[in-house]
Order: sequence, then structure tokens, then C-alpha cells
Amino acid sequence: MNFKQFTAIRIFILIIMVGLISWAIVSGNAWIPIPVIIAALVIQLFVRRRVKEVVVDERVYSIAEKASLVAFRIFGIAAAVIGATLVALGWQSASDLYKIGLTLAYAVCGLLVIYYIAYIYYNRKYSGKK
Amino acid sequence: MPRISNQIRRLRFDHGEMTQEELAQRAGCTRQTIIALEQGKYVPSIELAFKIAQAFGVSLEEVFQYE
Repeated sequence: MNFKQFTAIRIFILIIMVGLISWAIVSGNAWIPIPVIIAALVIQLFVRRRVKEVVVDERVYSIAEKASLVAFRIFGIAAAVIGATLVALGWQSASDLYKIGLTLAYAVCGLLVIYYIAYIYYNRKYSGKK
Repeated sequence: MPRISNQIRRLRFDHGEMTQEELAQRAGCTRQTIIALEQGKYVPSIELAFKIAQAFGVSLEEVFQYE
């Protein structure tokens, strides 16, 4: 199997997955997406093993790293600003806005904790210290 | 812009018009990476640079130059 065939199969799996998840949302069945996502991942892994060409290389990883960093920064800043605004707006009434704001603020904190744990891990890994 | 240039296109020509696909297979990367390298849009890791030089059977300096 070559890379073009692999890409075509991936797109096909994605279309089926989106269709099934959309149908699950419309029908109100929250459990369908879980096996669908797992099945899609397993099929994709199975298909990838049959590709003889190199599918992922250092350039792809480099792009993924840059994209992750940009997504992290955008989400972090946006969620922090929106979260703080919602907390400030709903501070006195303890309304839903306050709860949503607090959830966003905690999500940002969680994200930062994961980032620093990962940073410390890779910093140690590539520092030469034992 | 990267200050590292390369002679991949010329070396492919010198090696009997080796295709990008063939070079990618030999170097263990994708064809898109070879295209990006030839256009000067991507600077490879040292490992990939060595693999490309090895694929042509030349030294690293013959493929990549630091300007």
C-alpha cells in the first residue's frame, strides 16, 4: 500500500467516524462515540502498518511540535482571559458564568502543570545529568 | 530564512535523475521532506543530513553548505 492509498483510507475512516458521531449526538446516545473512536484508531494503526513508504518523519514531528506550542499558547491565553472575565462577572451571584469561568481557570492551571512536568522531564532527559 | 543551503537537486541530477521518491526511501524520510529541502524551506537534523549524504555516497559538506 502506498501513501496516497493510505491517505484515502484515512479520509474515508474520518468521514465514517464524523457521520457516526453526528448521528450519536442527534439521537442522544452518548456511548456510541467511544467505540467508534477506538475502532477508528485501531483500523488506522492496522492500515498504517501495511504502508511500505515512510509516513511520518522528523519534519512531520517538527510541524506537530510547532502546532502544539501555538495551540497551547492560544488556548492558554484565551481560556485564562475568558475564565477571569467570567469569574469577575459572576463573582457576586455565583451564577453559571462564575462556574464556567472557574472551570476554564482550573483547566488553564491543569494545562500549565502538565506543561511544566513535561518540560522538567525533557529538560532532565536532554541535559546530560544522571 | 535558513542559512543552510544544499545541492540535493544537482546531486539527484548527477545520480541519473534519481527521483525524489527514491531519495526519500534511501534516506528514510517522506517525499514532502525532500521537496521542502530542495526548496530551502526546511533544514534537516544532523542525522537526516548524514543519511542524505550517505544516499548519494558523498560527504556531508558536498550536500549541505553553511553560508
